[in-house]
Amino acid sequence: MLPLLYVVVTAMTADFAVWQRLWSTRVPELLLNTLSLSIGVTVINLILGVSLAWILTRYTFPGSGVWNWLLILPLSIPSYVLAYTFTSLLKRGGPVEHLWQSLAGAEAVLFSPFSLTGAVLVLALNTFPFVYLLARSALKNFNVSFEEVAHVTGAGRVTTFVRVSLPLIRPSLIAGLFLAILYVASDFGAVSLLRYQTFTYAVYQQMTGRFDNTAAACLSLVLVACAFVFLAGERWFRRRSRFYQTTGRYRKPIPQPCHPLTALLFTGYLLLVFAAAFGVPVVLLIQWTIEAASAGHLSGKFLGYVWNSLSLSAVTATVAIVCGIPLAYVACRRQTWASTLCVQGAYTGYVLPGPVAALAVLVLVSQIIPQLYGTVFVLLLAYLVHFLPAALQGMESTFQQLTPNLEEASRSLGIRSIRTFFHVTFPLVRGGFLSAWILVFVQCMKELPASLLLRPVGFDTLAVRIWLEASEELYQSAAPPALLIVLITIPVALLLMQKDRQTT
Amino acid sequence: MTQPPPNAKPLVLEIKNVTCAYEAGRPAIEDVSFAVQKGEIICLLGPSGCGKTTTLRVIAGFESVSSGEIILNENAVATVDRHVPPEQRHVGMVFQEYALFPHLTVEKNVGFGLTHVSANDRQRQIDKMLALTGLSDLADRYPHSLSGGQQQRVALARALAPQPVMLLLDEPFSNLGPDMTYHMRRELRQLLKKLRTSAILVTHDHVEAFAMADTVAVLNHGKLEQFASPETLYNHPASPFVAKFVGQADFIPGTIHDSTIVTELGEWPLPQPYQGPRDVLVMIRPDDVRIEKSETGCGIIESREFRGSDVLYGIRLNTGELVHGSEPSPRSFPIKTRVKLNVTATHTVVFDRPAHDS
Repeated sequence: MLPLLYVVVTAMTADFAVWQRLWSTRVPELLLNTLSLSIGVTVINLILGVSLAWILTRYTFPGSGVWNWLLILPLSIPSYVLAYTFTSLLKRGGPVEHLWQSLAGAEAVLFSPFSLTGAVLVLALNTFPFVYLLARSALKNFNVSFEEVAHVTGAGRVTTFVRVSLPLIRPSLIAGLFLAILYVASDFGAVSLLRYQTFTYAVYQQMTGRFDNTAAACLSLVLVACAFVFLAGERWFRRRSRFYQTTGRYRKPIPQPCHPLTALLFTGYLLLVFAAAFGVPVVLLIQWTIEAASAGHLSGKFLGYVWNSLSLSAVTATVAIVCGIPLAYVACRRQTWASTLCVQGAYTGYVLPGPVAALAVLVLVSQIIPQLYGTVFVLLLAYLVHFLPAALQGMESTFQQLTPNLEEASRSLGIRSIRTFFHVTFPLVRGGFLSAWILVFVQCMKELPASLLLRPVGFDTLAVRIWLEASEELYQSAAPPALLIVLITIPVALLLMQKDRQTT
Repeated sequence: MTQPPPNAKPLVLEIKNVTCAYEAGRPAIEDVSFAVQKGEIICLLGPSGCGKTTTLRVIAGFESVSSGEIILNENAVATVDRHVPPEQRHVGMVFQEYALFPHLTVEKNVGFGLTHVSANDRQRQIDKMLALTGLSDLADRYPHSLSGGQQQRVALARALAPQPVMLLLDEPFSNLGPDMTYHMRRELRQLLKKLRTSAILVTHDHVEAFAMADTVAVLNHGKLEQFASPETLYNHPASPFVAKFVGQADFIPGTIHDSTIVTELGEWPLPQPYQGPRDVLVMIRPDDVRIEKSETGCGIIESREFRGSDVLYGIRLNTGELVHGSEPSPRSFPIKTRVKLNVTATHTVVFDRPAHDS
C-alpha cells in the first residue's frame, strides 16, 4: 500500500512540464499500443480457449484425457522465454521463414517478430490457458438441461451453442479474459525482448536509459489508473452476470465419442496449438542447452545464478506466508473495517506491474532507508510487495473452505482459541499454505523486471541472465536457465490443474 | 434464586428473559425463558429463521446475550456484562454438518476434548464411548470414509466423551435419509436416557420433536410461543400458530352461550371457565372428525389425500369454511360426495377471533 502511495505522490508532485512532455509524446502511443495488444490477445484467446475447452469437454477420442494436462503446460513458460524462442524461429532467414518460402515462393516475406503481430502471437500463446481453464470448468459444470430445453423448443446445435451455451459460460470467459489482459498489460519480459513499446517497457526505459524516476512515476500512475478502472470493470461485470445454474442437483454433460476423422482433425488442431505454445520452444531450449553444455557454458558461474534465484525465492515465499497467515486469518474470521482496510491494502500490490513495483520500492527505500539501496533486501521487499497478494489469495481461500463449525466444535469441547488454532485450524490449512508457498516461490523464480532493476551489482538471477543473453541474441547461453525455470514451473502448473479437478 | 419444589429434579439450565441481537434493533431471539431439568430432553421447534439455532448458539457461548441471563449448572455463564467463553462452559455440541475433524481418526476425534485426564482414563473413556455408540470397529478410520449415520455417531461420541453438563444438537438428523433418521432417533434417545444427560435438540419437524422430547419449546419469530409436553402442545396449543405447526388444524367460528360453544358442526360444553369475547374460533383436528355419507349433509368432499393407513379429506362446508377429516383407508369416499360430519371434541380449544376475520 505504502509503495503505491509513494508512486502516486511522486507523480502528482512532478513538474507540470514533465506531464506535458509525456502526454504529447509518449502516452497516446503507449495507450494505443497497449490497447491493440490487449485486443489482439483477447480475440485469439477467445477463439483458442473456447474451441479447445469445447472439444475436450464434449468429446472423447483417443488421447483426449492427456490433452487436458498438456494444455496447461504453456503456463509454465515465462513470457520472455517464449518471446526469445520466437525471435529465433521467426527472424529473417529463420526456420519458419524457410518453411514459408518453400510453400509460398522464394520472395514471400513473413511478419517480423518485432511487431504488434509478433507480440500478440507470443502473449496469446502464453495466456490462452487462463481462458481455456475457466471455459473448461464452466462447460464441465454446465447444466445440460438448458441445452436440452433449447433442443426441445426446436433450436439446432449451432443456435443452441450461440444463444444458450455461450451466454451461460460468459461470466467464466470474461473472468479468464480479465486475467489474461491483466497479465498482458503488466508483462515486461516479452514486450521488451520484442521491442514493442508498452507502458511497462517505457517505465523501464525511463528508469534505466534516462534515470528519470519522475517520468517513470508519471507513466506508472497512468498504468495503475488504467488497472484500477479495469479491476472496477471486472467487479461490475461479475456482479451483473451472476447466473445461478448450479442449485441442487443437475445433470453434467457427458462427453460423446466422435468419428475417427473428426478425432484426427481435433488431434491435429490440439497438436498445432500445443507445439506452438510449448512443444517447439521446449525442444529448442533442450537443443540449445545441449549445445551450451558441450561448449562448456555450464560453469560454476551458472550454479551461482541458480543459487541466487533459489535462495531469494525461498526466503521471499517463506516471509510472504508468515506475513500472510495473520492477514488471511483476520480477513476470513474477524472482519472489521480495520482488518478489511489492511487486507485490501496488501492487495494493491496486485495492480502494480513488475517495473512499477520495482520503482515504488526503489523510491520508497531511497527516501526512508537509503543505506539499504543496492542490497538484496530491496529486491526481497519488491518481491514481497508484488507477490504477497498471490499468497494471500491462496491462503484466504484455504481458510474460507474451512467451516467455522470445526473451530467451534473444538471450543465447545473445552479447547482454548490458541490451542484450537494449532490443533484444528493449522493442520487443515497446511496443504493450502504449502501450495501458496510454492506459487510465490515459482513467481519469484520467474520474476524479471524488478530483479533487473533492483539487483545488487553482480547478483544475477536466472531470469535476469536469460533476458540479458536473449537481448544479445545469444540463444545458446540463455537456454540452460530458461529450461531450468520451465522445469521448476511445470509441477506448479500441474498443481493448479489438480486444484481445478478437485473443485469440479 | 427461588428454592425448587422438593420433588423436582435439579435444574441444569435456566434461560431467563434472554434476548440476542446480531444487529441492534432486530433481535434474533427476544425475551426467551425456559428451564431444563437434569436428564430431560428438550426440543426447540419452529420454522426456519425462528431463532432456534441462535438459542442453541447462545447457550453454547458462540453468541452473547443482549439482555437476560443464562444459568448453567447454577453458574451464571451469560449476562449482559459477563460472557463465559464456550471452552469453559462444559457443554457438548453436535453440529448439523457434524464438523468432524477431517485430519483425525475416529478415535482421535472422540478423544479430542479429553485433555485434562490421564492417558489411561482418556483411553478408557474413548473405548467406553466407542462401545456405547457402536463404533469400536471403526476407531482407526477417517471421517470421510464413514457413512452419514456413522459420522453422526462419531459427532455424538465426541461431544459426550468429556461428560458435558448438557448436550446441544443442531438439527442432527437433517443430513440422514428417512430410514436412518428413524433409527438414529431411537438410538439417541436411549443413549441420552442411559447416560442421564440433559439435551436440547433443534428441529423443524414436529414428528421428530414429539418422538424425541420430554418437553418442547415452540419458537416463532424469535419468541417462545409455548413450552410444554408434546401431548399438551397437540391437544391444548397455546396459539393458532402452535396448533397448526404441530399438525393439521382447522379453525371454525363459534359463539359462546353460557358454558356452551355453538358452531356449525355442533355444540360442546366449554372445558374450563372462559372469560373473553363471545365470538371465538374453535380448533378442529382431523382425528376429531367422523365422516358419513349423507344427501342432506353440511359439506362436500373437495380433496382427498391417501396417506397409507388413513385418508385425509378436505370438506367444504355450506358456509364456505374448509375442514379436514381423516378416515381409516377402508372407509373411502370419492371427491364431490356430500357428507355429514360428527365432531367429537375431546379437547375443545378456543381462540379469540381476530378482528379482521369475518
